[in-house]
Amino acid sequence: MRVLVIAEHLRGQVRDVTYELIAAGHLLGGPVLVAAIGSEPAALDLTRVGVDEIVHVPVAGPDFESDVYQQVLAALIADRRPDVILVGFTVNSIGYAPAVATKLKLGFASDVFALRQEGETIIATRAFYGSKVHAEIDFPGPGPVILMLRPTVWPLAAPGGAPKVTEMRVSLTASRARHVQFAEPPKADVDIGSADFLLSIGRGIGEKEKIALFEGLAEKMGATLAVSRPLVDAGWMPSSRQVGQSGRTVKPKVYLALGISGAVQHLAGMKASGTIIAINKDPEAAIFDAAHYGAVADLFEVARELEKLY
Amino acid sequence: MARNPKYDILFEPIKLGPKTMKNRFYQIPHCNGFGSEKPLSQAYFRSLKAEGGYGACCTEYCSISPESDDTHRVSARLWDDDDVKNLSVMCDMLHGYGALAAAELWYGGPHAPCMESRCVPRGPSQIPSDFEHLTYPKQMDKDDIRAVQKMYVDAAIRARKAGFDIVYVYGSHSYLPQQFLTPYYNKRTDEYGGSFENRARFWRETIEMVKDAVGHDTAIAVRMSTDMFMGEPGTQLERDCLPFVQMVDDIVDVWDINVSGISEWGEDATPSRFYPSGRMLPWQEAVKKVSKKPVLGVGRFTNPDLMVDAIKTGKLDIIATCRPSISDPWLPRKIDEGRLDDIRECIGCNICISRWEIGGPPLICTQNATAGEEYRRGWHPEIFSKAKNADNDVLVIGAGPAGMECAMILGKRGMRRVHLVEADKDMGGIMSWIPQLPGLGEWARVVNYRKIQIGKLKNVEFVPNKRLSANDIKTYGAEIVIVATGSYWATDGLNGASHDAIPGADASLAWQLTPEQIMVEGKKVPGKKVVIIDNDGYFMGVSLAEKLAMEGKQVTIMSHQAHIAKYMDFTLESPNQNRKLHKLGVEIVTEHLPTRLEPGKVHAAHVFDEEAHDKVWEADAVVLVTQRRSNEALYRELKDKVGFGALKKEGISAVYRIGDCVAPRLIADVVFDGHRLAREIDSANPEEPLPYKRERRVIDLMGAKAEIDEHRAALAAAGAR
Amino acid sequence: MKLVVCVKLVKILGDEVEFKPDGMDVDPDYLEAALNEWDACALEEALLIRERLGAAEVVAVTAGASGSEEALRRCLAMGADRAIRVESTAEDPLSTARELVAAVTPESPDLVLCGVQSSDSVQGSTGTALSELLGLPCVAVVKKLEWAGSGPATAHRELEGGLIDIVEVDTPAVLTIQTGINQPRYATLRAIKVAEQQEIVVIRGPSDGPPAYRIRRMFAPPKGHGAQMLEGGPDEIAKQIAGIIRERLK
Repeated sequence: MRVLVIAEHLRGQVRDVTYELIAAGHLLGGPVLVAAIGSEPAALDLTRVGVDEIVHVPVAGPDFESDVYQQVLAALIADRRPDVILVGFTVNSIGYAPAVATKLKLGFASDVFALRQEGETIIATRAFYGSKVHAEIDFPGPGPVILMLRPTVWPLAAPGGAPKVTEMRVSLTASRARHVQFAEPPKADVDIGSADFLLSIGRGIGEKEKIALFEGLAEKMGATLAVSRPLVDAGWMPSSRQVGQSGRTVKPKVYLALGISGAVQHLAGMKASGTIIAINKDPEAAIFDAAHYGAVADLFEVARELEKLY
Repeated sequence: MARNPKYDILFEPIKLGPKTMKNRFYQIPHCNGFGSEKPLSQAYFRSLKAEGGYGACCTEYCSISPESDDTHRVSARLWDDDDVKNLSVMCDMLHGYGALAAAELWYGGPHAPCMESRCVPRGPSQIPSDFEHLTYPKQMDKDDIRAVQKMYVDAAIRARKAGFDIVYVYGSHSYLPQQFLTPYYNKRTDEYGGSFENRARFWRETIEMVKDAVGHDTAIAVRMSTDMFMGEPGTQLERDCLPFVQMVDDIVDVWDINVSGISEWGEDATPSRFYPSGRMLPWQEAVKKVSKKPVLGVGRFTNPDLMVDAIKTGKLDIIATCRPSISDPWLPRKIDEGRLDDIRECIGCNICISRWEIGGPPLICTQNATAGEEYRRGWHPEIFSKAKNADNDVLVIGAGPAGMECAMILGKRGMRRVHLVEADKDMGGIMSWIPQLPGLGEWARVVNYRKIQIGKLKNVEFVPNKRLSANDIKTYGAEIVIVATGSYWATDGLNGASHDAIPGADASLAWQLTPEQIMVEGKKVPGKKVVIIDNDGYFMGVSLAEKLAMEGKQVTIMSHQAHIAKYMDFTLESPNQNRKLHKLGVEIVTEHLPTRLEPGKVHAAHVFDEEAHDKVWEADAVVLVTQRRSNEALYRELKDKVGFGALKKEGISAVYRIGDCVAPRLIADVVFDGHRLAREIDSANPEEPLPYKRERRVIDLMGAKAEIDEHRAALAAAGAR
Repeated sequence: MKLVVCVKLVKILGDEVEFKPDGMDVDPDYLEAALNEWDACALEEALLIRERLGAAEVVAVTAGASGSEEALRRCLAMGADRAIRVESTAEDPLSTARELVAAVTPESPDLVLCGVQSSDSVQGSTGTALSELLGLPCVAVVKKLEWAGSGPATAHRELEGGLIDIVEVDTPAVLTIQTGINQPRYATLRAIKVAEQQEIVVIRGPSDGPPAYRIRRMFAPPKGHGAQMLEGGPDEIAKQIAGIIRERLK
């Protein structure tokens, strides 16, 4: 099973999802070919266990442009004839991979979080109906398949191995969508609905005065502070911070719940979160049913220790 | 949806003496204003809870004799066979749902003023009641003791005849049996007073007698206050209660355990302002440790996890509820069906209790507009008929408690489309800031419940951040328009005492503020000395006093009445609220009316000073809590400027208004207002409430004439000349 | 000036689910339908552009069975000028794009706006696939859009972690719109009623071409067994938590 991985990088750094794609490709048997597209492809760290070959594709600009990646991917497919192409289900990749699949009439699936093989058939698993159900899918066509894999599911391929390094030059037409520059996001009003990482506090914190402690911790950890209903009812925090059925429904990558018992209305607002970690001193707290990780501990002690690590 | 297995324990049956209760949900005795004289209202009210899954439902306190007459408050009565007949309806309906029926047999002693019966209550010692200060009991001799004990026995027999499965010998809240047990009430020197055994004797004997009479097939319950928080004179847990439990445990089938006496029974029926759920668990646990019988008790339980925990950790065998059963009679069923987010949680405002305290009116509930209306208006909190005019679109303007309730019920009645439009960014209206006053956090459940329900209704859309003008309404496209724009606090000191503004009052000035200005606009309260002028008499003035005092202000609260926050007497919040204000150093000024405000000074006069001598309070800031006014402007514009005729041309067939914008009132009443309109939106004239059934005696004219003639004949025969 | 917006009626499952006997799909009784949140933002963005530029025709397009017209009705009520449904049973993003192109190409749009993804399938791919079929450039995950009405547009793309990638794109172009770019407006009852009466043009799609994938079976995800409990003192727990967070936030 010949696998082509398109490396994803940002400002000179390879993104972790690339290493996950390599691991996934390796599990499919390989050989695994990783394409590094950029102005300085050799500077990208792609020497990982499972990589058989790295193809450098030098292009004019260091940063992602949809037209560049579309054309390079099409050229790589024509030249290297992979059976499966793995890209991350990421903001950049959704801007080009589906276009290539459409152009070349390939099999295609996005947000794949499990893969297996039956002989030469690839079977992928993705979710439907808003993650409520899963489905196994396969790809009837004769040609190769483009799969966009969900980040953080596969392990990171370890450094090592001795891949062959080659170069491929692709002549490109001018990009119709051109990268101009990067910018930091504006410091807008808190929108807990769009945060990747929420640190959420509940009645367990005890008093209003303790909120400042957790505001500080959230800032250090790079989290946005959210709260459960009782703190809003009591007037300690504005309702824009409230997670729950009568507040906001959130789906961050990480939801760290401190001192939240897990009332039904709260769970309804956050149970779709990617990873839920809960600290509560009550071992029977309902939040532990919904959490992926939990600890029965004093939330202030854990908070203090966390602060030291950031 | 299915029941979460961790709640299975709540649905396990349990034996109560000769009876078996099908689960652990028990509606504890509580008043509703119906008694034995409104038997259908009573039966419909109680059986709704049985329909909702309660394993047992109780009467309110049930008088065993005309000597135990609490008029003007309404108790149930089992004085004669007609009372038996009336209460049997309740028992039948409960049995129909598989629930047990319980009668709380009550003799009040001096706490029952007998204003209807004109009897004299008996008591262990002749000391006037600490609750009804003008009522003295007759000091009981042994004959009196036997006579009253016989009243219990006779009443128990009547209760059994009516179909009750459980009878109480009720002492809690300082009623007769507990009066004997408690030195505060019992100064006797015979074998019914003095030592613990003596003080316990009356209650023990009474239980034995009742058990002898009916205990073979009727369960015997004892409701006891474990601690009156009065020190030595009051009932004490270790000295009186636990030994009593051990003494009579063998003959009691179920213990109903609470705390407090009658004059501060807010320690039992805890307002959410002061206590969280489960306040009495430590006392209930203490009794459970020494008893071999099932123990039940209340604690404003709304959360099934807390209920399970109470049972699993050996604090209670049965979860009793009073107020949570009023706000949601279907609590057990919703837990059983896994519909936890449909539970309408009690907010602990004690508005229900306030009606009993006032004496006479039926109960009401802030969260549940159907409480008390089950029979007289035929309202079921969970079942709604499709509106006959459902093929209409409705625009509700204002998502405060009235608007939310109305939109929700219209949605449940299947109106084609309901748009609930709100100028603010979220639902709630006044209830978006009132819960932020100290201690009122649980009151936010009024908003939370409706938000969740409205979110589930496909035909109801909430539109925030939209302030509609009269013209917007005209062209909105609704066929029915409902204005729910609420009220505001007067900015000129207009008040119900002087019926006039206060000279110098003007909340547009920086040093004068209204509640909304403080809570919503965040207007700064300048300086240190704050005078709150409170002519309202409910929670607003004292809550702001508490808030500002906690923020470091020196607060004076001034009322024209004899008593600050009078309505909080009825909600049982007064004692603790006053303690709080006292602790915070708030100066309480009563019987004074402001005459004039000027920068730095509040001028006032004593209301009974005929010469109105001028008294001055220094004030850096004045908070005007004088009265509220309806936000009428939009409705008036629609009616007076635009005109209903013009609106009709746009397809608007009706314009109604609900809630505070009609007249400011209790939150419970505006929720009711919204509910009623939605229930009656398809009546001939929805603006006018439909007549409700009044359970009253309707005279049989032939029979009355005969009775009058007989009476006249008897008078004539007796020689009246 | 023509702005085409591609929308989808998404089907949301509540907490309970039953499958069809063949195990290939869910029982439709358990589904509730609504206009996709991302597409509502796309439509709102088109309406805002129309307001900014003074004039433009906003056309809403969907591919689906007749029930999907509910999404178009919502768009019309919000202010779209016209709506077109492509009669289609396409499920995957590539097939859907092929259907949509039948309605979009004849419109010769100046901009095509799609939502980044649908809340039910979360494919994130239909807009990009469509751009290829239309031969137009594509900018995905747009959080802010500036355009004078002709010439290149400036799009702010929101990358993972919040960093903004500012892109200049030649028009006509396809843009996939991220939520948070605007607050979709509400429709009055009148607008909803008028939209009920408006004609929706229905055309047949090409209904050709292979699907991108084929569903073998559908099933409920295995239920979690509750949380994996972390052991140790507060310091060990904190270390483990920090590790998990680092992993998950990559």
